[in-house]
Amino acid sequence: MTTVEAVSTDSLRRDAVRTLIGNWRGGSTVPTASLYPHQWSWDSAFNAIGWAHIAPRRAWAELSGLLGAQWADGRVPQIVFDPAVPEDAYFPGPWYWRPMPPSGPPPGVRTSGIVQPPMHAGAALAVAGHDPSALGRLYPRLVRWHDYLWERRLVSRYGLIAIVHPWESGLDNSPAWDAPLRAVPAVDVDVIAGHRRDLLHSRSAHRPSNEDYARYSLLVREYRDGGYLDNFTDLRFCVLDPLMNAVFAWSSLALASIATRLGFDPSPHHARAAQLTESIEEHLWSPSLRSFAALDVHTGALQPVRTVGGLTPLLLPGLSAGHADALVSTLTGPAFALGAGATGVPSYDLTAPDLDLSRYWRGPTWASTNWLVWKGLQTSGREDLARVLASNMVDLVAGAGLREYFDPTTGEGLGGADFTWTAALLLDVLSSLKDDR
Amino acid sequence: MTSLADRISCQEQLLPGDTLQQKWDFAQQAGFAAIELRGKGDLAFEARLPELRQAVADGVVMPTVCVEMLHFIGDFDADRRKDAIKQMRSQLSVIGEVGGILAMTPASYGQFSRRLPPFEPPRTPEEDRAVLLEALTELGEHAAREGVTIGLEPLNRYENHMVNTLADAVSLCAEVGLASVKVAADTYHMNIEEADPAASFVAAAPWIGHVQVSDSNRLEPGAGHIDWALTLGTLDAISYAGTLAFECRLSGPNDEVLPRAVAKLRGSAL
Repeated sequence: MTTVEAVSTDSLRRDAVRTLIGNWRGGSTVPTASLYPHQWSWDSAFNAIGWAHIAPRRAWAELSGLLGAQWADGRVPQIVFDPAVPEDAYFPGPWYWRPMPPSGPPPGVRTSGIVQPPMHAGAALAVAGHDPSALGRLYPRLVRWHDYLWERRLVSRYGLIAIVHPWESGLDNSPAWDAPLRAVPAVDVDVIAGHRRDLLHSRSAHRPSNEDYARYSLLVREYRDGGYLDNFTDLRFCVLDPLMNAVFAWSSLALASIATRLGFDPSPHHARAAQLTESIEEHLWSPSLRSFAALDVHTGALQPVRTVGGLTPLLLPGLSAGHADALVSTLTGPAFALGAGATGVPSYDLTAPDLDLSRYWRGPTWASTNWLVWKGLQTSGREDLARVLASNMVDLVAGAGLREYFDPTTGEGLGGADFTWTAALLLDVLSSLKDDR
Repeated sequence: MTSLADRISCQEQLLPGDTLQQKWDFAQQAGFAAIELRGKGDLAFEARLPELRQAVADGVVMPTVCVEMLHFIGDFDADRRKDAIKQMRSQLSVIGEVGGILAMTPASYGQFSRRLPPFEPPRTPEEDRAVLLEALTELGEHAAREGVTIGLEPLNRYENHMVNTLADAVSLCAEVGLASVKVAADTYHMNIEEADPAASFVAAAPWIGHVQVSDSNRLEPGAGHIDWALTLGTLDAISYAGTLAFECRLSGPNDEVLPRAVAKLRGSAL
């Protein structure tokens, strides 16, 4: 790719390392200093994958710090708040999530109450490739985390785990949540708009709207006021997300590998991965979209939109060849245009009438989901396309810097700058490209 | 720029052998790419010029010299300070003459610590700073004429009270404003003084002229708990172009310890 050659990959790698160092806060890495001044769950997993290439000790510290905030019920919280940061520096801050239930975080640890995709076992296995020292210590916590998801979040009639807030998907304002979210009233819009801090650091056109923020906030209050119990019938938002379930299955396979290394029985983790894969194929496949899609548990409806999340079951080695081939054709077709005009996988269908190429998860391309699709293409035996996507990931940074997200049609950098997971995953991709040579 | 793995050097007194040539033979076998010299006072370093010239002719690589005296450019006594500056001027000239690039000194060593009685030094911080700026300006101008660099080494709080962190040294270098005045970092002192050594290296990046390596316990790299992968990854990320000089004590016989320690550092380099 010409852009990659124009900017030395050594120089990009050095930029990425300096960014990780600059965002390190002693025990974890903030996603970016001003916009997100705390530790985020799935960010930490991606960050650890990057740190492993420079300083495995920091990779383990990142994962240990996160798992050290694990709730008594096993959940790994979406955010671990830095007590040194004022409570109102981020919304919703610690005060909005209180009171914490008895099944909540360890004493003195402030967290949010929802979760994010369980990338952590996969990340731990990746870090162990560089330094296995902390694997045994973290394994029991990873098992409890997976047990929480399997026991508390399983919607038994589908055999899949549910998310109870759009933020749990990691793809906060994806069009996949539009219909389920419309069932949530937008109340106290002005009050919530006054609490927001993200707009101090980022353009409003690049961020979720105030109405959606009001809905997100109501969902938080109701989940909190219910003691963070996962009673799906009482919760307004209950969705089966292909990304959440695919990542859970992928990490279950990683946990099986870890168990084998440590001399534990891997079969429960293998069994979960197999069941999840089967259920994803059975319940989340949309023949008309030729992609997986989110399912609203309350209505039973598959959401009729193509998003990058629907492509992530490519991560699963047990996926049927028919579905894998269809996903690849969707990925390379007009909706996502991999190798056919887009740089990076757009978060949303390029042919959709409400595509918004600069707004968060409604069009822009992100390092995290690009990395998942990249890994998925490798798993599916499409090394050719994986290399195209890896080059795209390098090109985006070469052209616009280590930004939070990018316009996949122009390469324009968007959102926060010096973004940690963009840097971390670039290091992983560059290392892989180096190994290829 | 060669990899950091190929830029590891060793102070001469740590190497077995009676001559620089013998030491160089061992150093190369052990995996070192250069020797760091030690510069004693009374112009003893200058007196070694014939020996050093012969070593250069024999292919010994000696890019740096580290001062070895008991009085320094920040001495409380004006005469001792004046002599220290004279010694450093000479060492800068000599290292330039033998093809080297840098001579280094701390502000002082063993003279005063604010952490030990009597706690209050006889000079104010402003007076300390004025003395150091004057010395570094004179040495920086001299170094520039000789085509070399003077490196100012921060020492930990128990060994020196004036310049403890990279930021302390950067502040002085910046005020002097000469490209020939840089910071000579030492990982042992950084382990004590820097809250986040990696972030400190990044913050001081343009000013880092030299790096000495020694572990958290002053022993050779690998014998303590410094994160060498992170240290070398950081130095690579700031495009550090100099050498990594072993200045440490050894946990065992040098012919056993040094090759192992070099291998450890090489393994930590990207």
